[in-house]
Amino acid sequence: MARICLVCQNIDCKSRGSEQLTTELEKKIAAKGINDVEVKPYMCFGACQEGPNIVLYPEKSWYAKVQSQDLDDIVEHLAGGPHVQRLDTIDSSLKELIYQLLDTGVF
Amino acid sequence: MEGILFPHATPEGREGLKEYRDRGGYQALEKTLNGSPEQLIQIVSDAGLRGRGGAGFPTGKKWQLTREAPEQPRYLILNGGEDEPGSKKDRVLLENLPHLVLEGTLLGAYAIGASKAYLYINARYDDALKTIQAALAEAKKAGYYGKNVLGSGFDLEIEVVPAPHNYVAGEDTAVIEVIEGKKAWPRQKPPFPVTVGLFGKPTAINNVETLANVPPIVLKGADWYRQFGTAESTGTMIFSLNDDVNRPGVYELPFGTPLRYLIEECGGGIKGGQKIKAIMPAAPSSAFLSPEQIDTPLDHNSMREAGSALGCGVVKLVAEGTCIVEELIKIADFFAAESCGQCPACRMETSSLAMMLKKVQAGQGGLPMLEQFGKILAFNKGKGFCNLIAMPGPPIESAIKLFTADFEAHLTTGKCPVN
Repeated sequence: MARICLVCQNIDCKSRGSEQLTTELEKKIAAKGINDVEVKPYMCFGACQEGPNIVLYPEKSWYAKVQSQDLDDIVEHLAGGPHVQRLDTIDSSLKELIYQLLDTGVF
Repeated sequence: MEGILFPHATPEGREGLKEYRDRGGYQALEKTLNGSPEQLIQIVSDAGLRGRGGAGFPTGKKWQLTREAPEQPRYLILNGGEDEPGSKKDRVLLENLPHLVLEGTLLGAYAIGASKAYLYINARYDDALKTIQAALAEAKKAGYYGKNVLGSGFDLEIEVVPAPHNYVAGEDTAVIEVIEGKKAWPRQKPPFPVTVGLFGKPTAINNVETLANVPPIVLKGADWYRQFGTAESTGTMIFSLNDDVNRPGVYELPFGTPLRYLIEECGGGIKGGQKIKAIMPAAPSSAFLSPEQIDTPLDHNSMREAGSALGCGVVKLVAEGTCIVEELIKIADFFAAESCGQCPACRMETSSLAMMLKKVQAGQGGLPMLEQFGKILAFNKGKGFCNLIAMPGPPIESAIKLFTADFEAHLTTGKCPVN
């Protein structure tokens, strides 16, 4: 199964720059030569105050408050690099709920 | 049957000041102004009047809490936002019996000691807005509101505020925000409006139908009122039926009347003579009842015991041959669209539920999908500033329980079992 990179595009994350992040992320992924990752919009992860939110699936890595300068580290992770610990700030119960939804194909 | 609100059980056109006075109109106000606000609150409490906007909160209690709040001034808001899909009772009352609604508003204002009342009316209700303006002019001329009402020393200003027609705009604290000139966004509670409401002052917000019940209670007494309905749901309630029955309309019935009477005798049964698959007693946010529960009495306790709710009385029928998943998608899409978006949990929950139902419809996700509904609803229980977050739950969970086979068929075969 192809890997996906879900970027929240609901109003709050959008107002914090998630559209720009999506474009930049797509470019950086292509530049890195990663071709098994699809960047997709997501409706809402329920962590608006922590936005913009990006979830890597099926890795199940949730990165919050993502800024442009964080994207290189996220792309590194997608290329096999380490998990970006400083962006991993979301409460585990919310993560579990969302990951279960993703596991049943809700995206 | 003679109704409490509609003299002949159905509305009969706009009632002017003269006609209203000829049948005892504004006598309740005169009588009340000779007594104390506390006496009025007592009568309404003794009558057992409960709010008709959906929550069923005791009106006397709400007034008492507002009156006891130390801050001044206090405000009364008549809530005629009526954004519940399919509800038309408030519009019908405003258009046909404006003076009854107005007298109820004056009484409510007197009870809490308000210096100003706001009439918050759905902006799409052109006729209701015109009718109420005309009634206000007549009432002002007759001295029923303004300075020193009927020589009693009670002063009351009234202002009409058109209500935006999005769903949350009818929620009490969203109503306050709109009157303050802001976006219709519910506030975090507590504090409740009875202590910190409009402009930060104590405010009672009452539904149109609730206030319309007050003049008859004052005039004929609490004991008379309690003859109608049940011990815990006194009086009558106006139910709204829509295009799914043969005779859509508003019907005033005593609480405790069997649901069957409303559907069959009033509504003339389900359209097209089909069989009923499910009944939603308080569309769009109540649990579905099965057709076997058609004799459930229409009162708060009986509906709760049956696993559903009475809400503001919009009764919806689902016919045999209807895909329940498709029905739920309409409901879930409605709540996702109407979620105001300020609470992350509500935004996530309502949009996820709508998407999950579409996955069910498309036969995706397999049987584990069914478990996700309960999980996401439980996770978000009690979250959010208003109750919208809790509203998609009862229809979805009851439908999964009543029609498990329909869901399983979608998820295992990818096909709709009825279409």
